[in-house]
Amino acid sequence: MSASGTFGYGLEFTPFYDISRLGAVIVKGLSLLPTPGNAPGRIVETPAGMLNAIGLQNIGVERFVHEVAPRLEDAGAVYVANIYGRTTEEYEAVARRLSEVPALAAIELNASCPNVKEGGISFGSTAGGLSGLTRRVRAATGKPLWVKLSPNVSDIGAIARAAEEAGADAVTLINTLVGMAVDPRTRRPMLSNVTGGLSGPAVKPVALRMVWEACKAVKIPVVGIGGIQSAGDALEFLLVGAAAVQVGTANFRNPNACVEIVDGIRDFFVREKISRLDDYRGKLLLP
Amino acid sequence: MQAKFVHGKILHNTGRGIFYRMEVAIPDRIDFVPGQFAMVSGWPGNDPLLPRPLAIFRSGGVRGKGTVEFVYKVVGRGTALLSGLHAGDPLALTLPLGHGFEFPGEDRSWWLVGGGVGFSSVFPAAAALDGQRADFEIFLGARTRDQLPPGEWIPGGAVPGRVHLCTDDGTAGFFGTAAAALRDRIDRGKSSGLARVAILACGPREMLKAVAELALPLDIRVQVSLESHMACGFGVCWGCVTAVRDGEKSVYRRVCREGPVFDAKGVVW
Ligand SMILES: Cc1cc2nc3c(=O)[nH]c(=O)nc-3n(C[C@H](O)[C@H](O)[C@H](O)COP(=O)(O)OP(=O)(O)OC[C@H]3O[C@@H](n4cnc5c(N)ncnc54)[C@H](O)[C@@H]3O)c2cc1C
Ligand SMILES: Cc1cc2nc3c(=O)[nH]c(=O)nc-3n(C[C@H](O)[C@H](O)[C@H](O)COP(=O)(O)O)c2cc1C
Ligand code: FES
Repeated sequence: MSASGTFGYGLEFTPFYDISRLGAVIVKGLSLLPTPGNAPGRIVETPAGMLNAIGLQNIGVERFVHEVAPRLEDAGAVYVANIYGRTTEEYEAVARRLSEVPALAAIELNASCPNVKEGGISFGSTAGGLSGLTRRVRAATGKPLWVKLSPNVSDIGAIARAAEEAGADAVTLINTLVGMAVDPRTRRPMLSNVTGGLSGPAVKPVALRMVWEACKAVKIPVVGIGGIQSAGDALEFLLVGAAAVQVGTANFRNPNACVEIVDGIRDFFVREKISRLDDYRGKLLLP
Repeated sequence: MQAKFVHGKILHNTGRGIFYRMEVAIPDRIDFVPGQFAMVSGWPGNDPLLPRPLAIFRSGGVRGKGTVEFVYKVVGRGTALLSGLHAGDPLALTLPLGHGFEFPGEDRSWWLVGGGVGFSSVFPAAAALDGQRADFEIFLGARTRDQLPPGEWIPGGAVPGRVHLCTDDGTAGFFGTAAAALRDRIDRGKSSGLARVAILACGPREMLKAVAELALPLDIRVQVSLESHMACGFGVCWGCVTAVRDGEKSVYRRVCREGPVFDAKGVVW
């Protein structure tokens, strides 16, 4: 699957390949009202990674429903909407509205964006906050509900369990790690927002560990994300127990990254004579 | 033409003064609009992670076999790594990207302004106009004489009076910036009328702003090619935005998608 915020509304990739070949396309984070996003500089490159502080610029849920959703159906892919709100009521309103969109297979609740003041991280950083939010959104939609977790917490297992107990159908992790970059000469932060979210290969070891811990903590499917660039990276996440993976920043360097990873996993299973995912998934051999 | 992600092979990558000129063999011929660019990465490993945007300088080839050319200047790690690549080395490219210069049909005089390595997106426009035998003049600004592009790279440069070289230190051509030379040209043009003049410009933001402030009050249409740090280059990350006017409001538009060429009237400097 593609990771939210790194794949636009999916349609941007149709010149490169048939996006219906992916497990799912997770669209860019949607809010109740259109959001202008943060002032530029929004991105900074870091060693083997990048920081972003886009500030969730998006067209808002109404325009999405009217202008984008019908075109998604035509493209034939499976779609999941990623949503966020400033308040619990906004989350509920977005989820309720999107429940009416047949093209959407599920809703992914972003309780973890580090780049907007109320962008969910205040909900996602404690088990109590996340549990309350998940319960309310759960009641607002009949669609399968995935909860996307923040890595900026001390016990990811407890957070994942809170989402499960509150009714999540799956958890996805990780969102970006809060980071910062400064220019020693100008003495200024490189991002207008001062801090931003770190993604890319630099975060993979942290993501892998957290996905492993979450897999041990819950029974619902865990979707692994963070620094996946190749089929080999994706296989590591499957081995620690992820039911599926999402690919984000890798799409920027290689627009074909997602579909190359899909093909690479299949080739690996053929080569290793593995006929069912469950013969491999979660089969990490511990020392 | 729709963007493609392709694997290419470097044919040559040679330094010329402060510039490198690199030609790459790609699977198919591509057509591009002057001002469009490619996202280029050619180094092994993940650091630097992101590809670098470079304007498409020229493209060639026949079906089944294409070439694309870039001119670049080394400013940091990515371009330094690029400059170390040799003939035969692989290169990954996404191209052609962005919204290039527009050439409205009416009979016009075109003034093309390039500051620094900005000539790399202005020259393809000049080459297109030269091909149509259109009337154009080029203003090239650089700090010093040795930072100007080699004369033989300038499309149609042999026509007397067509090329205005400008240096900040006066070591070649006009003593001052390209924008200052343009101001003089506008003053001279006022008697003969400026109604049919259109300006295309690429270079440092201060230069583009100066050009817009000179020309817009005289109702001269100005298109500027903006730069921005990019992660994807094809419209999905929203990292590259710049503020433009939308009626009374200012909104963020993607430099890689709605740009890099914008109507200067709308740009919030
Ligand atoms: C649409 C577009 C077309 C371009 N075409 C060309 C071209 O044809 N030839 C050419 O030489 N360059 C071109 N550039 C600029 C080129 O992309 C940058 O010089 C390059 O990305 C720098 O990478 P680096 O790793 O060498 O530098 P870095 O190590 O990333 O940065 C070195 C320094 O340059 C600054 N910098 C880096 N990128 C940019 C940028 N995009 N805008 C402003 N400052 C920047 C950094 O802030 C830093 O101070 C273009 C840029 C854009 C957006
Ligand atoms: C530019 C950018 C924008 C993002 N926007 C969102 C978003 O809107 N909603 C969300 O849940 N995650 C967002 N993310 C986080 C990614 O979906 C993903 O969780 C993270 O980047 C880690 O994966 P990666 O290392 O493969 O990129 C964004 C990431 C990037 C780089
Ligand atoms: S660079 Fe990604 S949207 Fe422009």
